Amino acid sequence: MADCADHSLPPGRRRALVVFVNATLALVGGGLSALLGVFTLRLPKGAAGGRWVRAGTTAELKAHEPMARILSVSRVNGWYRERARETVFLVWDGRDSVRAMSATCTHLGCQVQWDGEGKKFKCPCHGGVYGRDGAVLSGPPPRGLDVVEARIDPADASVLVRL
Amino acid sequence: MRRLLDRVGLASWLDARTGYREAASVMLDEPLPPGTGWFFTLGSILLALLSIQLLTGAFLTLYYAPTPDHAYDSVRFITNLSAGGLVRGLHHYGASFIVIAMVAHMLRVIVFGSYKPPREVTWLSGLALLGLILAFALTGYLLPWDQRAYWATVVTINIARLTPVGGEIVAGIMRGGSSIGALTLTRWYSAHVIFLPAALIVLTAGHMVLMRRQGISGPVRPRSGPHTPFYPRQAARDITMIVLVLAALTAFAWHGTPALEGPADPTDATFIPRPEWYFLGLFQLLKYFPGKWEVVGAMVIPGLAAGVLALLPWIDRGPERDPRRRRAVMLGVTAGVALVVTLTTLGWRDRPVTAASRDTWTLREIGGRPMIQKANCARCHSETGVSEPLEGLPAARGPEWLSSHIIDPEMIAPGLREPPTVLNEREVAAMVAYARRASLQPYPGFTPHIETVGAVFARYCVGCHKIDGDGGKDGPDLSHEGSKHDAATLRRWIVDPELVDPDADMPSFGDRLSSAQLDAVSTYLAARK
Repeated sequence: MADCADHSLPPGRRRALVVFVNATLALVGGGLSALLGVFTLRLPKGAAGGRWVRAGTTAELKAHEPMARILSVSRVNGWYRERARETVFLVWDGRDSVRAMSATCTHLGCQVQWDGEGKKFKCPCHGGVYGRDGAVLSGPPPRGLDVVEARIDPADASVLVRL
Repeated sequence: MRRLLDRVGLASWLDARTGYREAASVMLDEPLPPGTGWFFTLGSILLALLSIQLLTGAFLTLYYAPTPDHAYDSVRFITNLSAGGLVRGLHHYGASFIVIAMVAHMLRVIVFGSYKPPREVTWLSGLALLGLILAFALTGYLLPWDQRAYWATVVTINIARLTPVGGEIVAGIMRGGSSIGALTLTRWYSAHVIFLPAALIVLTAGHMVLMRRQGISGPVRPRSGPHTPFYPRQAARDITMIVLVLAALTAFAWHGTPALEGPADPTDATFIPRPEWYFLGLFQLLKYFPGKWEVVGAMVIPGLAAGVLALLPWIDRGPERDPRRRRAVMLGVTAGVALVVTLTTLGWRDRPVTAASRDTWTLREIGGRPMIQKANCARCHSETGVSEPLEGLPAARGPEWLSSHIIDPEMIAPGLREPPTVLNEREVAAMVAYARRASLQPYPGFTPHIETVGAVFARYCVGCHKIDGDGGKDGPDLSHEGSKHDAATLRRWIVDPELVDPDADMPSFGDRLSSAQLDAVSTYLAARK
């Protein structure tokens, strides 16, 4: 392209134009990248804490005996709302307090089952064993079963779980 | 940077393996004839705008879902994201900017006689690009799946049916299924994001290869002197114009997020579809060809115009490029532009009157709120309930779904609810109207007085009377009833119409409405002048 060198441009002016073109391109590109980066990465946070869900009444529970409850909870994922089923174990103290635990094993996410004879929660996947209070007795789980906030509504003795 | 790379020898290493220096030189040292100036920046502006469309469009697909159940809600979700309104705005207004830049580019080519030999094929590839871009605009218009999108597409597909031979086949291909719905949306979506972009990239590349092969046409009267390279002088002109155009585009996108009408509703016969502004001329043209002549406005005239444009290099054959010596062509082009501008302006001015009232809440919608409160919907639809509050629900549910759910909530989630209270058809319609409106925009908070009036109107009056365009046609429109009667007369009339006028057809409501309801309705109507 030697025949086409721009002899009409003094070197200083050529350099200024080069800086102008490159800097403007970089600015436009940078601005666009920032905009699209924010658009991709900054997603709205889900509602904090979740909502209280009815999980039956104390009349359906036996004192100190974990009972599995399958609850339907509404989940928001972007524009999509779905109802998910989640299993929680309720342990009633026989009076005015109830303890709720997630049935999800803390090891790799399988669903634990209550062994009424051995008085233990057992995970069918990799042999994790938890006590009635959810603490790890043996096996690979790194921590006890996750505790879910729960309360008893004194008005009608219904059990409410926060999911 | 480059000097640093040179010092460590990385640039030479890379060049030896990729040959990037030569590639960059081919791109940047394009020889331009002397006198190439600002008029020749239009192609670069188009290229920049197209890149913005490709980029923003690619990123919009991160969140968009092309199904009738989710399209509308996903677009609403995008609009509410950080920078979402801006990205959608750039893509939306970018389409209009491209149409303008494209027409300007084409007019420049016509006026400068740049389509003349040896550039006829470049001209034809440009016309094909114009068609592609209009196809982009058409397919993209449907994707938000709102009322405007849906009805504009109904019109588009019906126009396609007018095609003289095989119209039904063409319409069937565009529609997918037997009616406009899920299959239409996925078809138009894949066209918009896969097939058209692929064709656009190939054609644009071809257009540019041709442009480089034949060289820039330059000023109409060739000047003497050596050719100069594109970079940096013409590049600086290009980039200056691009920055100005992008600044204007950003201002548009910043100023207003593109409007989203209510979700597509095939049962709503009241919606009057209007195309995007660049199709308004064609839209207006159709009005002059009623009945069996419609095909003339829809196909024959646009087809002839496209044909004349395509044949332009063979119609205007002489070597002369100066527009002052090509009077006939200039006259024809001016007449064409004037015709398009006139038709577009006429189409613009011919706006339906109801379009403005869609921002206001109708009485029926307001009246639905106390009914919803009475029906105890908040037992489940609340912050602490098993379902979302009504005000945040997805808007894509159709009226059929909503009324079925209101009549029998058990149908959606068995075992959670008390037996439904018995509601009549009008109450259900009002509750549906409220729920649909509330999911679109927050309740502005009307006074209990207006809510009472709304409930009474939605329960008793709406069957025969119309207010602000909503209601039945058997009785008179009550929108300006206050200019005819005062509150006391209206109250007497509602209590027993025959006492005021023995020939009245309206039943008496004295025993159906409480005194407070009668007061509220009569003072409300009297205040509507």
